[in-house]
Amino acid sequence: MPIGNTQPSVRPASAGRAGGAAVTAAAHRSGARPGRNRGGLRAERYAPYILVAPAVLIIVLLRLYPLLLGVNFSFTGDGAQNGTAVGFGNYRELFADPLFQTALRNVGLLVLLLPVAVAIPGLLATFIYLRVPGHRFYRSVYFFPAVLSPVIVGAIFNLLLAFDGPLNAVLGSVGAGPVDWLGDPDVAMFMVVGVHIWATFGMALVVFLAGFATLDAALLDAARVDGATLRQVVWHVIIPALSRTIQFVFVTTMIGMLTSMFGLLYVMTSGGPEGSTYLPEFYIWKQQGQMNRPALASAASTILFMIMLVVGLLQIKLLERSGKED
Amino acid sequence: MSRLRLGRWLIAIPMSLLALATIYPLLFTANVAMKTRRDYILDRFGLTDALRLENISAAWTSVGMGRYFVNSLFVVTVSVLLLLLFGSMAGFALSQLRFRGSSALFLGCLAGLFIPFQVIMVPLARIMADTALIDTYPGLILVYVAQFLPFTVFLMTSYYKGIPPEIVDAARIDGSTVYGVYRRIMLPLGTPALLSVGILNALFCWNDVLMALVMMPSADHRTLMIGVTSLRGQYSDNIPTFASGVLIAAIPVLLVYLFLQRQIADGVAAGSTKG
Repeated sequence: MPIGNTQPSVRPASAGRAGGAAVTAAAHRSGARPGRNRGGLRAERYAPYILVAPAVLIIVLLRLYPLLLGVNFSFTGDGAQNGTAVGFGNYRELFADPLFQTALRNVGLLVLLLPVAVAIPGLLATFIYLRVPGHRFYRSVYFFPAVLSPVIVGAIFNLLLAFDGPLNAVLGSVGAGPVDWLGDPDVAMFMVVGVHIWATFGMALVVFLAGFATLDAALLDAARVDGATLRQVVWHVIIPALSRTIQFVFVTTMIGMLTSMFGLLYVMTSGGPEGSTYLPEFYIWKQQGQMNRPALASAASTILFMIMLVVGLLQIKLLERSGKED
Repeated sequence: MSRLRLGRWLIAIPMSLLALATIYPLLFTANVAMKTRRDYILDRFGLTDALRLENISAAWTSVGMGRYFVNSLFVVTVSVLLLLLFGSMAGFALSQLRFRGSSALFLGCLAGLFIPFQVIMVPLARIMADTALIDTYPGLILVYVAQFLPFTVFLMTSYYKGIPPEIVDAARIDGSTVYGVYRRIMLPLGTPALLSVGILNALFCWNDVLMALVMMPSADHRTLMIGVTSLRGQYSDNIPTFASGVLIAAIPVLLVYLFLQRQIADGVAAGSTKG
């Protein structure tokens, strides 16, 4: 086993074995109670429904129903027109809004940067799997920022990237001019995305390592014996064997970029400068809470959901294709 | 073979630099939190001359981080306990019991996985306002439970699927009720999964900012992360206090990480491989 301790301890097999002992103990403790009456039996029949009821009710009422409600809202008006149907009015306004256009352009930028955000943890996981000296240490350190809140990460980088902050002080000492990292509309979005990748690559790394744990080590040994170089091993052994993991990381990284950058945006730039760091989720929050335009926000929510649906469907397509190849 | 070994050492150099880049920002913040305001302005990078805790205690009391800390601790604890209770109940029923409609209910729960909070933020805020739950702790707890329940149900169901059905059958023959099986067998057997899922949920809830921002407008009810965001405007000219506030919010996560790193990584890995 190449990297023994990435094996999930959430492992049913061993639990099953432990279960045998627990059951006998439990049976002894509770004692046998054979004489159950009919009423008890009927109550038992509904037991599964009672057990799933809290989860199902909460998910239906506070997840699925709001989704329909939101789509419905997006076709009604705001303010004086509250509740009246306005057709696609909100959507027309949305796509004409320069801030939303910027948000969509920034989504495009995220898509372009996606391969980088996947390749970095993939490459690092490969090195860790191949047991670079100190691989355990790297894994622990790299994963750490992934458990920190975007708010904390954003606040720390606010400090580091401030115009009169430490990074510019370092640049100044080597004679480079200060850069307004978070105040320049051409730079700010790259900084926010960069910080997001810095903070989350450890998450993808762990997923990659879990994929590596399922890899047949004999394949690698065979390649080694045949004198394959590292690049050949990566291209011809690792990537084909991990195609599913790679797809999973692509999708989860994209979803992460679309739905977990709010904290960074809120703390680092608040959408500025000049609205250059808007993303759909920030636009939704702004319209909902600050501008009091819930219907317009709902239209943006629906668009965001459709973007995510496309990402999800693409994943299914890819899975089907790789299934045929198998 | 020796060339390969040399290559490994060469790769270790950029990897070490990256490791440094990964932890340095937090070390820098911790260092700044110990400095006086004057020290920071004079020298940003130098090590603090003393383990000064004044800034931290000031952030804890006068900035109100202490109160926000307690708020967060309460909300996260209740949310995680409810998530584990509801998640294990549903997971047990959906994996071990045969009943009409079980696969449809499982798919319904799974569908919740694909609906992020951003997409339902507006209607959810309206539902919470209509039921007078907005700006209350039960309201925020309910939103957290709804947010992370699909994931919890999914993981608990796939974990309990690995437990042989004979165990349940044997207990039933011995006269145990379904609830008895849940309480005396499924809960204890589920401990490793409950621990992993519980820690992950605790981190998710503790780290959240968007849901707390939408559901908890009042300053009294602020969670710790909202407290951190409010530091920026108030203390942007007093960097050591700012850094102290950030540190207060990061330390619990750091401690959890140091002691429970395995469980966190396992939870993430289980979520990816069970899919």
